[in-house]
Amino acid sequence: MPDGATQPSIVSAPARHVPSAPLRRNLGDRIEAMPTSIRVGVVLLAWLAVWFAFVELFGVSKDFLPNPLEVVRRIARLIEEPLGAGPLATHAWASFLRLLSGFGAAIAMGVPLGLAMAYFRPVQWLVAPLFELFRYIPPIAWAPFAMFWFGAGSGAQAYVIFTSAFPPILINTFRGVQLVDSRFIDAARTLGAKWWTILFEVALPAALPAVVTGLRIGLATGWMALIAAEIVAGTGSRDGLGYLILQGQQQLHADLTIGAMALIGVLGMLIDLVIRRVESRFAYWRE
Amino acid sequence: MQGSGQGMKTARFLLGLTSVGGVIIAWWLATSLQLVKPLILPPPADVLEGFLDVWNGYLNVPFWNHFIASISVMLGGYVMAVVVGVPLGIMMAWSRWLDWVVGPLLQVLRPIPPPAWIPLAILWLGIGFAGKIFIVFIAAVVPCVLNSYVAIKQTPPELLDSARSLGASRRTLLLEVAVPSGLPMIMTGLRVALGISWASIVAAELVVSLAGFGFLIMNGYRNLESNIVFVGMVAVALIGYAMNAVFVRVERRLVPWREDQDHA
Repeated sequence: MPDGATQPSIVSAPARHVPSAPLRRNLGDRIEAMPTSIRVGVVLLAWLAVWFAFVELFGVSKDFLPNPLEVVRRIARLIEEPLGAGPLATHAWASFLRLLSGFGAAIAMGVPLGLAMAYFRPVQWLVAPLFELFRYIPPIAWAPFAMFWFGAGSGAQAYVIFTSAFPPILINTFRGVQLVDSRFIDAARTLGAKWWTILFEVALPAALPAVVTGLRIGLATGWMALIAAEIVAGTGSRDGLGYLILQGQQQLHADLTIGAMALIGVLGMLIDLVIRRVESRFAYWRE
Repeated sequence: MQGSGQGMKTARFLLGLTSVGGVIIAWWLATSLQLVKPLILPPPADVLEGFLDVWNGYLNVPFWNHFIASISVMLGGYVMAVVVGVPLGIMMAWSRWLDWVVGPLLQVLRPIPPPAWIPLAILWLGIGFAGKIFIVFIAAVVPCVLNSYVAIKQTPPELLDSARSLGASRRTLLLEVAVPSGLPMIMTGLRVALGISWASIVAAELVVSLAGFGFLIMNGYRNLESNIVFVGMVAVALIGYAMNAVFVRVERRLVPWREDQDHA
């Protein structure tokens, strides 16, 4: 294996050629010592250059695969020039609002229900079989019914997001509360705490990191479902990032499709970054 | 204690029966009393009719054609993702050069949700098999690479050290220490990838297709036949459930040294 990822092993060290081995190891170690951001940045630029060179050298059609500069230019143009319902900000905002409404509904239902399931066993026994019944339906498969119920627009899309964000939020809240150290609860009880005091001042704070993790997973799956919903159930609306992707495909503008995909990736990363920040604020809780 | 455990079990069973039965009765009542339109919620009788319709060939497409169309495309993309993703993940964990070159690219592509690739796949590869296999591949390859990578990285150092002190070569270390110790986690990645593959193929078929369960569901939607949509969703859920159950069995067979692992 031509690298030195691990310490020189007993067998291989003496067998190596003395002149070449240290040189190669030095290069690898020097790269390793670089700050991660520089290393990643250089590699990503190199990949962009490969993309650019591939398009230019083989003369790939612009409708098929535009070069990165054309993609950037197309998105830059979209900042001012409206398409469908409006310019870029309109689409991003529409997607964001849909995400928030579906995700908000999932929190409003998932967290209390998870708490109740962990706290009162009969609730768990009532809800668990229903949950199992619906678990294997992919969220996007709800899209047609969502369109029957809410019309082919934002409501249906928010519902699809809800179905995908709800399970992780419910499960993580449930597990989090269930796994709270029973000594805490016993201690509170011996001190004469009422059940709601135990719930809100012992169980919930102790379970908070797990709940926040559930929110993060729910937001990630919700974001994924949003794009699927905008592509599948978006026939009624003319806004959203998924709409941009679809427009690019239907009008054979690959630059628009790829640009919108990149935006979705970047926004998804930003959302995850924010909620990770929030999550780490609760991390000191954990042992 | 035995008696109360039995009592708990009975209570649990009864409550589960109550909730599932309650939903079914509510469904039946709401539709037979015509509280909701059949389009909003199809009555049980319509669903049964829809099921027979699909089974016998809804719109002249026999049930098994949908099954074969969906499953074959899904398996094609899934197998490709496993064949590419698992070795890639393992090699990335083992060679820092590969990690440096490929890692950032994967990190950039990963936050793009698989459904977002559907239009591009159609643009590049058309609406036939190739485009859908591509979507399944994109969706399934991520957990394959990621879990294999983490599995190898998490090899207990004491295992590697002891094998090294016994004179194992790098090749032996990888193939006989790191891979077996990471296999349970790699298998978990393959199971996650299977679920994602199934959801992706349904999503792709919802957008564009000529057969398959997503096509069935979308046709039900376009013809305003909610019972067909219902049947399609149930079929998708049952097949997803069955695939997961089969995989868990295979997993237990293949990695018996991690019986204690939680398969929830």
